[in-house]
Amino acid sequence: MATSDGLPSDQQRSRCCFLEWMRLQESDLAELLEALSLRDDPGDRHRRQLIGRNIEHFEEYIGKRRSLSQEDVAGFFAPAWNTAIENSMMWLAGCRPSIFVRLVYVLCGAEVEASLSEFVEGARMGNLGELTASQLAGINALQIDPTMHLTKHIYCMQGRTIGEEEKLTSRMASLQEKIADQPIVAIARRTNQGVEPGSEADAALDECEREMLAIMGDADRLRLNTLKEMVGALTPPQAVDFLVASKKLHLCIHEWGKRRNHKHGRD
Amino acid sequence: MAGICCGVVGESEPSAPAEPSSRGSRLRILDPLPFKFVADRAVPPLSENGRKRHRIEVLPSEGIEGRKPRKARVEEEKVKGVADIKVARTDGSLNSRENVQVEPQECPKFGLTSVCGRRRDMEDAVSVAPSFCSESRQKPNGLHLFGVFDGHGCSHVAIKCKKRLHEIVREEIGRCKESSVQWKEAMERSFARMDNEVEWSDVAKTSNCRCELQTPHCDAVGSTAVVAIVTPDKIIVANCGDSRAVLCRNGVAIPLSSDHKPDRPDELERIQNAGGRVIYWDGARVLGVLAMSRAIGDNYLKPYVIPDPEVTIMDRTAEDECLILASDGLWDVVSNDTACGVARMCLRAQRPPSPPRSPGSDLAVGANAESSDKACSDASILLTKLALARHSTDNVSVVVVDLKRDR
Repeated sequence: MATSDGLPSDQQRSRCCFLEWMRLQESDLAELLEALSLRDDPGDRHRRQLIGRNIEHFEEYIGKRRSLSQEDVAGFFAPAWNTAIENSMMWLAGCRPSIFVRLVYVLCGAEVEASLSEFVEGARMGNLGELTASQLAGINALQIDPTMHLTKHIYCMQGRTIGEEEKLTSRMASLQEKIADQPIVAIARRTNQGVEPGSEADAALDECEREMLAIMGDADRLRLNTLKEMVGALTPPQAVDFLVASKKLHLCIHEWGKRRNHKHGRD
Repeated sequence: MAGICCGVVGESEPSAPAEPSSRGSRLRILDPLPFKFVADRAVPPLSENGRKRHRIEVLPSEGIEGRKPRKARVEEEKVKGVADIKVARTDGSLNSRENVQVEPQECPKFGLTSVCGRRRDMEDAVSVAPSFCSESRQKPNGLHLFGVFDGHGCSHVAIKCKKRLHEIVREEIGRCKESSVQWKEAMERSFARMDNEVEWSDVAKTSNCRCELQTPHCDAVGSTAVVAIVTPDKIIVANCGDSRAVLCRNGVAIPLSSDHKPDRPDELERIQNAGGRVIYWDGARVLGVLAMSRAIGDNYLKPYVIPDPEVTIMDRTAEDECLILASDGLWDVVSNDTACGVARMCLRAQRPPSPPRSPGSDLAVGANAESSDKACSDASILLTKLALARHSTDNVSVVVVDLKRDR
């Protein structure tokens, strides 16, 4: 809804920002999918460029959110543009950074199973004799493969990310408890039903929102840094794979959520 | 995949049934505590399958390590090492004896990986203590200890085991008068002492963990312990709980420990004779709470849950390839045979004559000794990756020890 002076409301501008971001992710996804099947990419130049651009896009989106949230940060913690299921899965105005690690577990998992499938098959047949040439090749590939080092890196990263998440979660918890403390409680007790709240109440809530703004800023920074670190640890083809998976996931959940919203009469 | 794997386990390891249900929380917390406590500590109620969300916990960063073998005071112990081997080697495996005589004290190469996985709490701890008896003068130097401790309820018992158990074992070995150590008794005494220390540990000093060492919550904390001591001629495994040690010998997986599950017939009988009950609630659980029948700690479940280890003593042979110690985060989804196969493949792939590497590779012949260490590390990582690929829901800790000596 537009404001009385005809300018778009904070809510409208924030929703626009989100919709733009979703559209951008769609077009990024198309490009990434193309790059995935690219045969000829010497030195992964094209893939590297694309990955860099994708990170930039996320960074820009965070920047826009940041300036929009100066006016109405609460709108980002409970966004009206998200579906109910998305909002249920939200953590501090966005996704949990640790889900990047979980996503990589899934992708790595597929890789390991593929590399070991023949071997594991052999083991199941009770054939633990000599290694076949292709098994040896497979295992050598895995060992020379940077994923071994990557794996180390990601395992260490996971602990760190969860630690940071917990710190922010606990900051948010304190803030949530503050709502039932002074000065807000005193103001609420003084206020009579049906009477316009005074400037006192607004000042108190503004104070809360300032803290929310800081928390959201730090949470966004953690999301961005985790994403950067993850993409940096992966090989370019793996990073493309990872970005494809993450964008697809976000777009899918959004669409599925809409259908479920519709089913429950929440349009 | 997990289904396939369970099939394999079932066929090849009758002593260690892989219950699909054991993948749930190990500890079902029946919180008898009044609400007051929860409110007081501002701890959110139980979540994640009975586990608690927790405060931030400062753990010594475990991560992944690979260590170079450590040579320690070869001269001093040479004579004794040879003597030990002459006593023990009655199986005529002469070809390995010479190698053993040359460097009886060298720590075998190893690699370890310990990860949080799909849990948000890290409750596993791993300990590696090469030449852990080198300080005592009269005892053999060539003793190396490896241990995996999978905590439940909180991490502090597992961490305490990591910090202390090798020291206790050293003291207990030191008490043995004769030159040959009575391993079974020494390990049993060590575990009993470890349990005792956990029970009476100084609460104030270490209260840096999730449970904040509040009784009675603190009483509901425990840990598995699987410990392997590798000597020049033997492997001694002491186990309590459902972590496991598996020896890979000539391509065959030989379990050196048998999981202590409440539904293992002899364990079930023991628990019932002690007046306890095993209740099936998300798998077999002692008093419907703990999904293992032995553990360090867990005072509130005594005497049904006991800290007594089962000890296996195995003579080393020239066919021994590697030893794998791991928490159930691995064993729930990877069979003994598969684990051995994967580890063996990693170790063999880097053993000379290795398959030709790409030109310009820096892993030349001279680096082989070092790369084998990397091989152990790779083996432990690969096993961990496989466990996560098969959707292990627990912390995963894996130690791979290279037992080959003829290189």
